[in-house]
Amino acid sequence: MVNAIFLIAAPLAAAFLLGLLKEQWRHAGYALMLVALCFMCWLALDWLLMFAYRGAAPVEIMTAGTPSPFAIKLRMALPEAALVLIVCVTGLLSALALRDTLLRLGRRSIAVLLVAIMAYCGIILTRDIFNLFVFFELAAIATGGLILLSNDERALAAGFKYLVVTQVIGILLLVGIIFTYHASGSLNVDDMVEASLGMMPNGSLIFFLMFIALVAELKPVPANGWALDIYESAHPAYSALFSAAGASAALYAVQKLLAVGGADWLPVATGIGIVSFVIGNLLALPQTNDRRLLGYSSVAQTGLILVVLGQRDVLGELTDFVALGLLCAHAVAKAGLFWLSGLIVRRELTAWATLRGHPLMLFAFASLICLLLGLPPFPGFYAKWELVHVLAAEGRLALLGLILFGALIEATYLFRWFGYAIKRDKPAEDLASAPGGILAIGATVLIGWGLGYLWGELSGRANLLTLLPLLFALAFVLLEWLPAWIKNALAIAGMAGYFALTWSDFDPLRLIFAVIFLAGGAVTLLASFDAHGRRIGFYPSAMLMYAGMTLLIQATDTFAFFAAWEVLTIGSYFLILRGKDSEPHALSYLVFSLGGAFLILAGFALAAQGAHQIELEALKTVLTPLAPWIFLLLAIGFMTKTAAIGLHIWLPGAHAEAETDVSPMVSGILLKAGLFGLFILLMHMGKQQLYGIELTHLMLWVGALTALLGNLMAIFQEDAKRLLAYSSIGQMGYALFGLAMMNHLGWLMALMFVINHYIYKSMLFLSVGGVAKRTGTRAMYQMGGLISLMPLSFIAVLIGIIAMSGVPPLSGFGGRWIFYNAILDSEMRLPMILIFLSGPVAFLYLFRLIHTVFLGQLKDQHRKLKEAPFWVVLPQMIYVLLLIGFALVPGLALRHVDHYMNQFFPEGGLNWEGIHISSLYGYWEPIPIMLIIGGIFATLFLWLLFVNRRAQKVKQFNIVFAAERPYRPETTHYAWEFFAPYRKALGFLVQPLATRFWNTLADSLHNGADLGRRLYTGNGQTYAVQFLAFVLIVYMLGVGGGLS
Amino acid sequence: MIAQIVMATGFTLILIGLYGALSNRNLLRMIVSFTLAEAGVHMVLVAVGYITGRTAPILDQAVPADEAATLIIDPLPQALVLTAIVIGVGITALMLAYAYKLFEKKRSLDIGSFTELKW
Repeated sequence: MVNAIFLIAAPLAAAFLLGLLKEQWRHAGYALMLVALCFMCWLALDWLLMFAYRGAAPVEIMTAGTPSPFAIKLRMALPEAALVLIVCVTGLLSALALRDTLLRLGRRSIAVLLVAIMAYCGIILTRDIFNLFVFFELAAIATGGLILLSNDERALAAGFKYLVVTQVIGILLLVGIIFTYHASGSLNVDDMVEASLGMMPNGSLIFFLMFIALVAELKPVPANGWALDIYESAHPAYSALFSAAGASAALYAVQKLLAVGGADWLPVATGIGIVSFVIGNLLALPQTNDRRLLGYSSVAQTGLILVVLGQRDVLGELTDFVALGLLCAHAVAKAGLFWLSGLIVRRELTAWATLRGHPLMLFAFASLICLLLGLPPFPGFYAKWELVHVLAAEGRLALLGLILFGALIEATYLFRWFGYAIKRDKPAEDLASAPGGILAIGATVLIGWGLGYLWGELSGRANLLTLLPLLFALAFVLLEWLPAWIKNALAIAGMAGYFALTWSDFDPLRLIFAVIFLAGGAVTLLASFDAHGRRIGFYPSAMLMYAGMTLLIQATDTFAFFAAWEVLTIGSYFLILRGKDSEPHALSYLVFSLGGAFLILAGFALAAQGAHQIELEALKTVLTPLAPWIFLLLAIGFMTKTAAIGLHIWLPGAHAEAETDVSPMVSGILLKAGLFGLFILLMHMGKQQLYGIELTHLMLWVGALTALLGNLMAIFQEDAKRLLAYSSIGQMGYALFGLAMMNHLGWLMALMFVINHYIYKSMLFLSVGGVAKRTGTRAMYQMGGLISLMPLSFIAVLIGIIAMSGVPPLSGFGGRWIFYNAILDSEMRLPMILIFLSGPVAFLYLFRLIHTVFLGQLKDQHRKLKEAPFWVVLPQMIYVLLLIGFALVPGLALRHVDHYMNQFFPEGGLNWEGIHISSLYGYWEPIPIMLIIGGIFATLFLWLLFVNRRAQKVKQFNIVFAAERPYRPETTHYAWEFFAPYRKALGFLVQPLATRFWNTLADSLHNGADLGRRLYTGNGQTYAVQFLAFVLIVYMLGVGGGLS
Repeated sequence: MIAQIVMATGFTLILIGLYGALSNRNLLRMIVSFTLAEAGVHMVLVAVGYITGRTAPILDQAVPADEAATLIIDPLPQALVLTAIVIGVGITALMLAYAYKLFEKKRSLDIGSFTELKW
């Protein structure tokens, strides 16, 4: 082994050597630095592998050959090796990204960079607190120099503010150190641990001075204005180093001190950390400058890791796994994002739209955001899973809630930013050319994914990056160069193939979902053959969503289930974002979904009761008083996905604005994931009571209201796709209602809705999408009379609405039939009335859909329209056949499930005898019904043809105007405000209350944050005063409150 | 006794320095205040290591090496002070350079005029 002291000696030697080079030999100097940094990286990696795989013991290095306190002691162990590796790799990549600047400024700047990296390594390695001070000051001086690498003139002021605060920190630190030495007789951290500093008189004050000085290096809120100014103005490649390496070093320094301080100081660290995490993220919300935003995010992430260090008392041996996971994710992602920002010419967040011409860079951006947020399959995901479970088991629920809240805010602003990059106008200028930066970004992305794999291995749980569906989805990233039709064929083949391989593993209930997710997904994908070009980004996103759904039904334990849930959420977000005007809607979808996901996570963690992962079936064994709360968390989480009323506001935009072939995927297929979750929940947790309220009754009411209001809102839409979207809300309400009835037939009916809704909603979205594609509009009053031009689309819509409205003979009727039987079994009468009411309401909007689009008069500009493209029509025709088939032989799918449900509700099943289906209350014979209705229809149709002979043809312009003056042209069209009388009568029911509520909440958070960030006045002196105030407050709350 | 006086002076200097740095808006005055505070810190450091009645930790005829442990004051704080002074000089120099550059840019030494970066 090469001695670890070379981590300090090598950069120092290189820096001295630089002085011997001629000023002109810039390339030689630069190369010398690279060699030194490569050597350091190799050294750190070598040590890391030694500790990780060969179980080497920690090594102590006595610098002067004598023990402490007479010489400085360094230590190399697993955490040190890992952290030093982070520092060195970040340093090396930053040096690459800084190539042009360093070559321009020459060897002095190169030497300063080397010193900075050396100082960070020193902070990590040393066990001597005075030495720690020295390295911190070295880092500060180097920072003071490196800030000036920036082209931004304002960096000068930032540097000065930084030095002012550094002075104050230095004073506190030195005073603390000398008295610590006086009290404990040593400068060595390990000796201090033995001397138990906290027990001495005044020990806590002395310790506090050192502690707070080191904590200040973490840039805690509110003592961090100086750091934010640096992030905003410094060269991004330096900010990367400052954020990634600086945080790693400072966190480890705090960690060393916490070991000295003992358990009493852990809550103080936690408190400082959580304030930084939540407030830092909140203040990032109103930011418009990309680098400042990253600065706030760095502050927040560091705070979170400080929380983890502060929870060592409960995390125990997991601390390193969690803290290092979060730290690696933060360091890699933040460094990558800063380097990426170096390629963007302007500083507004919207300027990142430049990335749009560069798919690889977009992939990097997306990967880094997911890495930063701890989404699967990245290390932060595993780390947060453990953290949340430990906190839940220990009952630290407030902290848990704050962490999840902060994480949600963080996701909001990061994904909003990603939305800008995808959707905003592309700036005129292209990316800045910086080969070194691109190299660094590429390396970061690879490292990020590698870490994801590594943490999966270390976690002891399922390694997500070894799961076939996920790998399949990710493989499409590598196949992006292929034309869309090849990728589409591959995707269909993959999904169908995977279904063929796995279908026999599922129980009947899961099999139904598997058919919809995999086989159904493959059918829907047929429509995607219509797309031309390469369609970059579509397939990885879509396959990610399908992979998530597949893993969801395969999951048997909470970890796999939750991971799958997050995967499908991210995939569908990227997919929805592709729509033309879907930027705000995709974001609101994501925020609601992640919010729901966090509730689910919290629910699982509470249910685990100290274990870190339980079988889904073990949800049964959770006892009151915890069980109803867990039920509530999980139910709200799943209902976010099914868009129950109040949580529905994301759905209309997300589904309506999505691309033509995406709408059926996210509506027909994705919504079922939420229902699947509810199935699992009710199956295992059943009825729960909270304060005497039966929670399933509450759900029943929510379902009924959702059905009614969703349908009501649908009838007032002018936009055909929005109409369908609102209709989905209503339909999910029915399904929720059925589930919440908690009887055999209710569940069967919910399942029937799962199947039916998939078929007809996919079909309707495709046909309406096809029409919109041809007419160039989705507003129904701009259409009309399309029946003769687009007959196939018409047939699809006709069949679809017959099925959906629940009239015989199609499968919707079967659904209704089971439904009415189920209601007779149930005792809930009042919500039942609501459900009955919503039936006719649904009829209204369905009538409007077919009437205004296909009947009536053809618009002049539409006279030459053709039928929708073949590939859009084909799946519709398949769905027509499926609907008819399912109507004829419902038993094919349902009887097995019916039988399967006997284990939950032995009573009240159906009898299946051939084609005859009977319940307690009546019978249902699909085939005769079909024949009879068919007969009636044919008779009426013939009669109509017969009488139609005598009808008088009226030309389109042969109309009579009433004495009304139209204010807007569309108001003269009969399709505009089609149901105006109903709106007068029932409009009060569809006031956008929920939308207003969530908007007000979002606005107040935003405005509060905007007000809050004015704390950072930009005056260096104010920053120093804030720092001192922070010190006093922490002292009074922490030490005065509990320690002294 | 002497140690206490030095220490009290040191702390007073620290407080004066901090007060000066936080109440003067002029960059140069701030820097001078910080050097004052640093001097105070150094005095505190020396005072902590002082033991009454002993001599400086320099081994010569007056202090033979084998009796040193009982004759000299604690040498470690003295070593620390030397290092701290060196670092202090470095930081002060850097701050002065910054102040110079800032003045060049805006012809002003008022800390309040460098607030373009905020919020």
